[in-house]
Amino acid sequence: MHDDLVDRLTAGDPSALARCISLMERGGAAADRIYRRVCPRVGGATVIGFTGAPGAGKSTLIDAYIAALRVRGASVAVAAVDPSSPISGGAVLGDRARMWRHAEDPGVFIRSVASHGHLGGLSESMHRIVDVMDVAGRDFIIIETVGAGQSEVEVVEIADVCVVVNAPNMGDEVQAMKAGILEIADVLVVNKSDLPLAQRTTKQLTNMLELRRENRDVPVVETVALTETGIDALHDAITRRLAAGAGDKQKRRERRMRRLIADRAGRIVRDLVGDADGGDLADLVHAAASGEIGIDAAARRALKAVL
Amino acid sequence: MSLATLSPPARVLVTKIGLDGHDRGSRIVAAFLRDAGMEVIYTPPWQSIPAVVKLAMEEDVDVIGISSLATDHLIVPKLTDALRAAGLGHVGVVVGGIVPEDERAVLIDAGVHAIFGPGSARDEIIQHVALLAAKVRETKDAELAEIAQ
Amino acid sequence: MSKEAVQLSLPGFEQAHGRWRAEYGRQIGTDRVIRNRSQIEIKPLYTPRDWNGESFLDDLGFPGQFPYTRGIYPTMHRGRTWTQRQLIGLGTPEDYNKRVRVILDAGATAISLLPCNSGFRGVDCDEVDPVLLGTCGTVINTTDHMDRALDGVPLGNISTAMNDPSPFTLLAFTLAVAKRRGIPWTSITGTSNQSDYISHFIANHMFYRLSLAGARRVLLDHIEFCRKHVPGWNPVSVVGQHMQQAGATPVETMAFTLSTALQYAQDCIDRGMDIDVVLRRFTFFFDISISFFEEVAKFRAGRRIWARLARERLGAKDPGSWRFKFHGQTSGVDLTEQQPLNNVARVAVQAMAGIMSGLQSLHTDAYDEAITTPTEETARIAVATQNILREEAHLCDVIDPLGGSYYVETLTDQMESEIEVLIGKIDAAGGMYKAAESGLVQSMIGTSALAFQERVERGEEKIIGVNCYQNDSGPSLSRATERPALDRMTDHVARFQAYKEARSQDDVRRALDALARAANSERENVYERIVEAAEAGITHGEIVSCLRKELGFGHPLVVV
Repeated sequence: MHDDLVDRLTAGDPSALARCISLMERGGAAADRIYRRVCPRVGGATVIGFTGAPGAGKSTLIDAYIAALRVRGASVAVAAVDPSSPISGGAVLGDRARMWRHAEDPGVFIRSVASHGHLGGLSESMHRIVDVMDVAGRDFIIIETVGAGQSEVEVVEIADVCVVVNAPNMGDEVQAMKAGILEIADVLVVNKSDLPLAQRTTKQLTNMLELRRENRDVPVVETVALTETGIDALHDAITRRLAAGAGDKQKRRERRMRRLIADRAGRIVRDLVGDADGGDLADLVHAAASGEIGIDAAARRALKAVL
Repeated sequence: MSLATLSPPARVLVTKIGLDGHDRGSRIVAAFLRDAGMEVIYTPPWQSIPAVVKLAMEEDVDVIGISSLATDHLIVPKLTDALRAAGLGHVGVVVGGIVPEDERAVLIDAGVHAIFGPGSARDEIIQHVALLAAKVRETKDAELAEIAQ
Repeated sequence: MSKEAVQLSLPGFEQAHGRWRAEYGRQIGTDRVIRNRSQIEIKPLYTPRDWNGESFLDDLGFPGQFPYTRGIYPTMHRGRTWTQRQLIGLGTPEDYNKRVRVILDAGATAISLLPCNSGFRGVDCDEVDPVLLGTCGTVINTTDHMDRALDGVPLGNISTAMNDPSPFTLLAFTLAVAKRRGIPWTSITGTSNQSDYISHFIANHMFYRLSLAGARRVLLDHIEFCRKHVPGWNPVSVVGQHMQQAGATPVETMAFTLSTALQYAQDCIDRGMDIDVVLRRFTFFFDISISFFEEVAKFRAGRRIWARLARERLGAKDPGSWRFKFHGQTSGVDLTEQQPLNNVARVAVQAMAGIMSGLQSLHTDAYDEAITTPTEETARIAVATQNILREEAHLCDVIDPLGGSYYVETLTDQMESEIEVLIGKIDAAGGMYKAAESGLVQSMIGTSALAFQERVERGEEKIIGVNCYQNDSGPSLSRATERPALDRMTDHVARFQAYKEARSQDDVRRALDALARAANSERENVYERIVEAAEAGITHGEIVSCLRKELGFGHPLVVV
């Protein structure tokens, strides 16, 4: 019976894709089973991450970029991430509304994803969601995140190209962010480049790139998303970076898998050590509390004890 | 609010079809629902019916809340028809706003679960939407259990 | 302008005051802290201790004298009563014409035009489900439609309020009609009531059609065009209504509106326009809520602040530029669906507040306005309300009758302080355009709206018939009424489609190309091309669509 869902998914049925995404968000045994069936087929899609502070015009830019992809005959899936409220666990997901141009285009599948308070910014299920979109046959997968800082770490793992969107007049807070952002950017965009201070922002970014040896090849593209100016240049820059990084896709996936496994191992161990009742562990806790042994040594001994 | 929240949280679309553009009410309701632990997909007004159907499908929503003023409610049956035609008849639909009394029966017959007038209390709306979402989830879970063995 | 308590040399004052306080304290039981909508604490009693008029000339002065706190003209309503202007808009152009003739026959010299929601949306009537057309306004998509709507209306002798946002096609159609009838544009008077694109972006997305930058460009071109060709027209109406209806407090509303006016004035100065010429044609448009004294204080404070801003900050020299001219509309947001006849009382109170604030023109809502467009009967009652207040309650016999009230003057001063603090915040954010673009204003308003709603939910804010004094057996207004006959509307649409097809496609393309070129050139006046397009038979939807393409589609920032 579940062949039916996976078959429909790989045949490109969007309602099957929607159901699978929900399943991945929910987790559990059925989700794991489906995910394992899907894994071998992952790798056909190009994944592009768009990040940047609110107000940079990210959504408008993505909306225009999707149009450019559609004109070139590519199919697209978008995962738009918004933060969940730490208090209620709820969220308002408003990004997709800004991709209004594609609201009726079946070639553009849009899914809003709440971060669910996941510490890394992106929810853990995001990795699976992207893979499932890949297997559904979408040529391009776009992930939109808020440039809050932490989610960028994970976007790098999932995306083949990371585009960081800036805008002029965004204030000094952005300066602080810029250092971290340069670490991960494959393409830098200066949006709203029709504003008077845009050239200054472009210069600033170019100068900062110059200072970092490993970022020398990062292009800075100027766009005006509202009037679709510079979008073709953006696509060219992305395409060039993709060509330069081709072959890394598999490596990146494996790196991500390794981290996921390590994280999961850590969680398993944390639960084991946390729940363990045995006398050995109680002695260990006493010893650490009185300073007899250090935390690191205690942890290693606990590992040996529970595994 | 003591109603147990779903996990993952209920997904509710808050939107407007038709021509009216007043969105103060729908924004406030979206905030209430978020504070009650739901995931709200919020759109500005003037969504077309095909766009709403596509959104409901892609986002796997549990409930659709339509905010309606003027004569927008007259096209809600067209929405419920389109949802059913797309295999989304199980999605709950509620309407908030101003609907003349003598035109409410048409909406109920078309499958609208509840109509909330302007004086509706926040807790009333939240309760209803949460219960409706839970029911819809049950239906979806049953179906998933079948096809995702 | 906060007033410190002044030690008065009134013999016996302190003693009498103390005695009152003691007795009050004994009899009141548990006293509650009362705050108005702007969250300013309201005391049970105000005395000369709070305000004593010693700075009368500086802070109040006389009507028609700087800073105009008591009124912008020497005679105010005693001389010329406020303009009675009721909003009209329904159905087809013919439906509108019928209603407007009735009003003109009754002696009105001012009319208004409210277009259909489809028009606000920027589309023509053939792009929308016909069942949605003409229910809240009139469908006017071409000069021909406007001609039929204004059939028999003496355009040169009446003042028109056009409830039409950027790119102001309705005025363009009207000017084209005037040209057809040989009426010089110099005799066309009225106001572009919804020219405040910043307030639309912030708080009324229904009217927001072009991108912020595009709307900015069109407004400036519109101002210059009117200055040159339609000098009797007020191209700028800075609107506080939408923000207050969206939940901004009265203080926030006045602060944001004044900041917006400053922004528009500065944009004009930056374009090289003469500030005095520009400000003379600035008008303001506000909601009047039922928080009676707060509204009066809001407007008096606003008048005073604006006079000072215009003279000192903007450097305007002509006293005409310092006058805060405003139109008030009773707030539909305070009206209820439950027990609708109660709304007649509400509207009367709101109107009183507006009149006593010294407004220049007033619209009173019909009691069913919350639910449907008014019928002739409910519209009649709305107008009668104004007449009763003037003729029977004699509200116009005295200028600024609440002036000198210890309470009202204290509250005016307090609101003035708070408003100025907020204006400072907007300044710090780089001005209103930037503050709106970043979403700062929207989130402040959203917070106020949510807070108010929560007070209603808790029962702290009482609304009769809604959270207290409920009565399910009352008459319900929820009837479907006053909709244009569907077959008449579909006929109208069919006729419109035939009209479009009969035009010369070359002429259409030429006019639209010229419009697109103007939009892309910094030196051309876009509005001139819009008027030319109207004269050439281009439709509303075609004009808006062209400008959206060239100047950017208006997507409001959604802040929940």
